[in-house]
Amino acid sequence: MSGWYDANLVLVQSTFVGLLLALSVQVPLRMGVFSFAGVGSYAIGAYTAAIVVIRWEAPALLAIAAGALLASFVGWLLALLLHRLGGLYLGMATVAFDLILSVVTTNGGELTGGPTGLFGVIADISMAQIIGVTLIVVLLLAASERGRIGRRVEAVRDDPELAAAMGINVRRYRQAAFVVSGLLGGCAGAINVLLRTTVGPADIGFGLVVLALTMIIIGGAKSWLGALIGAVVFTWLPSILAVVGEWQQIIYGTIVALAAIWVPGGVLGLVTDAYRGIQQRRRLKELAAAGAADVVEDHGADEEDLAVLEELAQESPVERQR
Amino acid sequence: MLQDLVNAVALGSIYLLFALGMSLAWGTIGILNFAHGSIFMFSAFAAYLIVNNVRLPMVAVIAIGTLVGAALSLAVQVFAFEPILRRAKDHRTAEMQILIAGIGVAIVPLAIAQENTKSNPFGFTGSSFKATTYVLGDLRVTNIQILVIVLALVLGLGLARWLQVSRNGLALRSIGVDSEVSSIMGVDRRRLALLTMLVAGGLAGLAGVLLTYNLGAITPESGEALILKAFAIIILGGVGSIAGVIVGAYVLALAETVVLTQTSGLWVDAVSFGLILLVLLFKTEGLFGRREVRRA
Amino acid sequence: MTAAVERISAPDAVDPRPVLEARDVAVHYGGIKAVDGLSFALTPGKIFGILGPNGSGKSTLLAALTRLVPLTRGGLIFDGEEFHNVSPANVARKGVARTFQTVRLLTGLTVLENVQLGQDLHGAAAANGSPLLRRLRPTRTPSAGVSEAIERTRLAGLEKLRPGELSYGTQRRVEIARAIAMGPRLLLLDEPTAGMSHGERREISELLKDLRSEGLTQLLVEHDVQMMLDTCDYVFVMNFGKMIAEGSPASVVREPAVQEAYIGKRWREAADRQAGGGERDRGDEHA
Repeated sequence: MSGWYDANLVLVQSTFVGLLLALSVQVPLRMGVFSFAGVGSYAIGAYTAAIVVIRWEAPALLAIAAGALLASFVGWLLALLLHRLGGLYLGMATVAFDLILSVVTTNGGELTGGPTGLFGVIADISMAQIIGVTLIVVLLLAASERGRIGRRVEAVRDDPELAAAMGINVRRYRQAAFVVSGLLGGCAGAINVLLRTTVGPADIGFGLVVLALTMIIIGGAKSWLGALIGAVVFTWLPSILAVVGEWQQIIYGTIVALAAIWVPGGVLGLVTDAYRGIQQRRRLKELAAAGAADVVEDHGADEEDLAVLEELAQESPVERQR
Repeated sequence: MLQDLVNAVALGSIYLLFALGMSLAWGTIGILNFAHGSIFMFSAFAAYLIVNNVRLPMVAVIAIGTLVGAALSLAVQVFAFEPILRRAKDHRTAEMQILIAGIGVAIVPLAIAQENTKSNPFGFTGSSFKATTYVLGDLRVTNIQILVIVLALVLGLGLARWLQVSRNGLALRSIGVDSEVSSIMGVDRRRLALLTMLVAGGLAGLAGVLLTYNLGAITPESGEALILKAFAIIILGGVGSIAGVIVGAYVLALAETVVLTQTSGLWVDAVSFGLILLVLLFKTEGLFGRREVRRA
Repeated sequence: MTAAVERISAPDAVDPRPVLEARDVAVHYGGIKAVDGLSFALTPGKIFGILGPNGSGKSTLLAALTRLVPLTRGGLIFDGEEFHNVSPANVARKGVARTFQTVRLLTGLTVLENVQLGQDLHGAAAANGSPLLRRLRPTRTPSAGVSEAIERTRLAGLEKLRPGELSYGTQRRVEIARAIAMGPRLLLLDEPTAGMSHGERREISELLKDLRSEGLTQLLVEHDVQMMLDTCDYVFVMNFGKMIAEGSPASVVREPAVQEAYIGKRWREAADRQAGGGERDRGDEHA
């Protein structure tokens, strides 16, 4: 067992990083905020952590905190800047933001190490720390998917106008989406740079957006669990596909394309729908047996209305009791 | 300076041909096809494969590229986007899924081309066409550049005119304005959508072949880079406006050329990204775009 | 739902400060005067009605009252406070609940969760103890307000179902339950009984009247004239954005202007018969 762990350590670590990255895009998406700024936050987190470690030999947790906080602050600024945008336009604006960041880092000269990036980012980071951070994140997110906040998030996503009518400050929630996305992306980037000891513009380009997106599509966008499934699949899939050799990328692309078309809810969506379908059928059977007439399409009402109209036509509107 | 201008116009023409197809699809049937870039590249790639074995004149190569592009785009519409549209619960979710599906689909042609060429540039060395350069004083212009510029302007303006004047063009525009009403009015949305994607793909393929001839060679990754520039162009010009695409393409090309000549080449890409952000922040509908009216 | 002070429900008694007041309210959409100079006051503890054909501006008025749509002119006063610059979310927080013309439930949530959404607001105001902890604890056992709302709208037993599995009328009841769970001061209902059977309509009418006796002020936008006659204490009639009549339902229905607009002779005769042979008809109803 420990042999497997040591051999696959890099992959296990990558799974955690992948999870945080996927979450940074999934959380806003869950709220109906089409922001891909999580990838840019990843870049900010990575470079900040790298700089902090290289220049001031900061310890790992501090570096992560610095990266995550700066990224979440930028997220908050983005929320203010982009608050009027929605849907596709917001998505594109955030992708543009991500890519501008990658250009900036390429041209950042000494600070960012230019096109070759930064290396020698050496700080002790233990698996326990990574697991700890991730666990806290996941617990908080899981809590936010249930109870009062979970319901309100659902409202903000599905029907913002209704959410407002329910007293929800939609703008505040959307701002929170950006900030949390920044925190998560920043964490992911910082942890990754500490693990790999290097970061460069090539690591933070559009490919990262695609990766984050595909993790969420395959895993499922509704919940942190989907992000986990996606992260696991995409971290381990390449090594599984390596068997297939040259066709690897092609199969990878085909899987993503097929999932995006046919299984938009991802693996999690499939499972949840199936489970709900079973439950629903059972409940409806019970209710039908109990004779509850108002469940499922009740056409009785239509017939009554027709009868009323008939009677009205006969000029005796008051006596329409049945 | 004048040379830079000529190069910028040629570049803008390529951008125009590429963005024209995307804008047409997006502005009328509301489909933002992320696989457009991959189709662009793969059409050139297919032509390259054929030309490696059969010595063909440029006209034939262009024809191949255009046809492959059209076919691919049609296939993507039928096998990827239509299923999504059928099953999505509202337009907003469909939009997002189509975007994502496009990204997914784009990976496949990219991977095939990368596999074959090992990410090395490929060109039409097997073609019988030879580029000739015309020299006018300090100016050097190749016949390819002239061809590109002429084709782009003709097709761009022609498309704009066709949309205004022809019955199908009107039908397409009506879908763009209000899809439901248009179908009540008897517009066959499906047929027109297929036609649109066909034309868009053809334009992409055409652009791919022409760019390859212009530069001598392109890499499998060339398509990706262009997609984002096309976004910038369409956003700048305004979704739904062909005039906007025409203006936007040349503005972007000019801006990039200026940045390229005044600073180092590394900031060039930032121009398109910066444009996207600026336009979205200050004038979301772009230069000529429709105001999006949200019903309360 | 706390029983407030017993209010006198006769329309011409001396009334305390109105819950909602509209002063010369107008909503213009570039050229269209959807609402054109409306003034009214909703006194506490009564059920008011807005009657009008489609296009008369009723729904726009409701949207303006909940601040989803800005006023072109005029002012709104809620409980003595100026209201027209308040955000929709704050409107809800001040105690205005509403249902919508097209049912707006969250399809991804169960009936219980949809109703809880209403109570979430009420709960926020009444929260004691650490707000963070309260939010994190998943609400398994529905609190009193929610169960009461569900009971009163006869939704017991359907809590675990999702809106997609319910009939239209039942979905509307969920909306009403959600609005009640908000513990509002003013309840705005936009055609709440559309799509319901007659039995359901009667039940809703009884429910609204019960809520009234507990002090809840209501404004009902209704198409169904019988529902209006049965439920409302006072009716405003709109046409083309203006108020063309107001008064008790029976009197309003008899006004020529109103009848001309859209009720038709039949209903005037119905109102006459109801006023005249009132007891006999009511006896028939319960047969």
